[in-house]
Amino acid sequence: MNSNVPNSKKISPFLVFFLIHTMQSGVGILGFQRIIAKTAGYDAWMSIILTGLVVHILLWMMFKMLKIADGDITSIHTFVLGKKIGKIFSSFFILYFCLFTITVLRSYIEVVQVWMFPELRTFWFTLALLILAIYIVFGGFRTVAGIAFFSIILPFYIDVLFVVIIPYSDFTNLLPIFDHSVKELLLASRDMSFTLLGFETLLFFYPFIQNPERSKKWAHFGALFSTMLCIYLAILAFGFFPEAQLQKNTWPTLAMWKIIKLPFVERFEYIGVSNWGLVILPNICICLWCASRLAKQLFSIRQKTSVTAIAILCLIATSLISTRGQIDLLTTYTGKVGFYFNFIYVPLLFAGTLIAKKVRNREKHT
Amino acid sequence: MRSILKLITSVFLALNLIGCVKKEVLDDISLIEGIGFDYIDKKNILGTAVIPVYLPDQPPKKTTFSTKAEISKSILQDIQRQTADPIATGSLEVLLFSKTLTEKLGILPLVDAFQRDPSIGSDLYLAVVDGETKELLAGQYGIRGNATYISKLMEHNIKNEDLPQSNLELFLGDFYQEGKTPFIPQLKQIGKNKMKISGIALLKHGKMVDQIAPDKMFFFKLLVDKYSEGMHRVKIESGEAAVRSIHSSHNFELTKRNPAEVTIHLKVNGNIDEFTGQELTPKTIQELQKQFEKDIQKECLKLIQHFKDKQIDPVGIGHFVKTQTRNFDFKNWRENQYKDLVVKIKSEVKITESGVIE
Repeated sequence: MNSNVPNSKKISPFLVFFLIHTMQSGVGILGFQRIIAKTAGYDAWMSIILTGLVVHILLWMMFKMLKIADGDITSIHTFVLGKKIGKIFSSFFILYFCLFTITVLRSYIEVVQVWMFPELRTFWFTLALLILAIYIVFGGFRTVAGIAFFSIILPFYIDVLFVVIIPYSDFTNLLPIFDHSVKELLLASRDMSFTLLGFETLLFFYPFIQNPERSKKWAHFGALFSTMLCIYLAILAFGFFPEAQLQKNTWPTLAMWKIIKLPFVERFEYIGVSNWGLVILPNICICLWCASRLAKQLFSIRQKTSVTAIAILCLIATSLISTRGQIDLLTTYTGKVGFYFNFIYVPLLFAGTLIAKKVRNREKHT
Repeated sequence: MRSILKLITSVFLALNLIGCVKKEVLDDISLIEGIGFDYIDKKNILGTAVIPVYLPDQPPKKTTFSTKAEISKSILQDIQRQTADPIATGSLEVLLFSKTLTEKLGILPLVDAFQRDPSIGSDLYLAVVDGETKELLAGQYGIRGNATYISKLMEHNIKNEDLPQSNLELFLGDFYQEGKTPFIPQLKQIGKNKMKISGIALLKHGKMVDQIAPDKMFFFKLLVDKYSEGMHRVKIESGEAAVRSIHSSHNFELTKRNPAEVTIHLKVNGNIDEFTGQELTPKTIQELQKQFEKDIQKECLKLIQHFKDKQIDPVGIGHFVKTQTRNFDFKNWRENQYKDLVVKIKSEVKITESGVIE
């Protein structure tokens, strides 16, 4: 029904790698080590692998569903639940992406406020970032994908730069392996899920991929890359900080930079945090794009109008959140909603799709 | 019409962003390079900040500000009231604590502010001063300013000599690591404009409980640092030699449990820098190696016995045993097992070169 996207607006399959990876590596990556180490201690790297594996399974399910319904999530909903109920279900995702945008924006601004400029006004900075994001979304999905591409290529050097902390690390911290129960590892896997969220956007931009069959492997590569990056950062942080010290750091990834000293700039965080703006920009763009596209499909509003409306909503909500406690609460809720959506709703929907397909096939035969 | 609107909006936004944050011009701020803390009484401490004033074509002029306060950030606030320009802590290089303060109050409550402040790097040297930090900082050392002098002094001694690796990050790491206690270098003023490294202070719960004399530092570094350098004098019958360690490594091995027995393998590769005897034959080199190995064994065991008596663990043996044991019980370790711990030292010295003379 919705697969009537003109070829000129589609993206090549390999860009899916960047879209998936960029959505997964947002602000969560700055502080996930502490959260997963809370339950599983320094065995938590195993939980990352586990979560990573589940992400691959979910991606496989998504591709399968999308192929059956031939379209995006609205088509799946219509296919499984019928037109009216499908519409209601789909409209929830507008809110979901708003929530996602707000979380990403507010968490990033908090980092800027704590690490660089305490005087920075949340409202003005959000306004500037959102106007940039709206401008990018106006350019269409191809522009959004382009930004995703650059947001990975340009700041990639940061990931490499972490090796300078190795002389200060003691990797025996990770020993003994399997010092925690399976239950603790599973709990840590659940906590890890917020960091690896974002791959569900595939359900929304699928019709925009040229030759979706070929994009499968790129999507899986993207998810694999995110998992590897998380393991890399987790192991570095576990080696760098003793367990008690890790729990004291809200952003272990950033705190590791404190040891880096460059001749031309005393504190590396200034470069790192500013560069991180580029990392989170596509997150905001993709979320806005998904939300506005849904609005367009469901309520036939012009996408330009809906992007602006959603952005204004996000702007207001972001400026209202001010303390660490509130931000923490917001992140926890977004994490929970994301967890239920990805790890529970998607498998259910998958089962539903399979059943609906069987029923329809039978109807056809009779 | 639309493009003009766009232009106006973007200019308006750009102007907004300029006003968003406070700017700090380097010439208009006072950069604190070092802070010293002294003990006054149970509640109050005396803080001294070193702020260099940079003048054209001259070595930086040193100015110090001292003030009394209860916590370290309020010291900065009080110093703020004394300086002409706002102070910034971004380029802090050393933190000094007087010995009395370290023994009586402990340095942890003071370090907290520096760990919390994102503008301060963790590559920052900590040191205990034998005497008052205010007096030490009153001297004029070198031409690059006092704080830079101290940090350079420590830096090259860590790199080439027998001072173990130490900075804020490693201090905090040792402190938070269960089964390990931290240590920091100790400085002493030895003349009006001179100071030297006078040993290593050993801490427990942030308070100084013991120290290591300069002549034992070589062995201490062998035990705590993965790779270490430095020089040691070896005496044998035919003369005395100065052996410089070029490359060394240490490895721990848990050889027995209940009671725990840890074997520490120490390997030293060194060159002979000086020999006072008649002739340096392969046989004498052999003898020197043997004697050096014995020295290492004896001194290291002595140090570890000493740590056990004082119930500290700067080597991190507790942490090592934990990495080898599932469900490790630190309380039991601290209270019972550490006392009964048996440590064995296996040293291996290899003298590879003996200088340019036969």
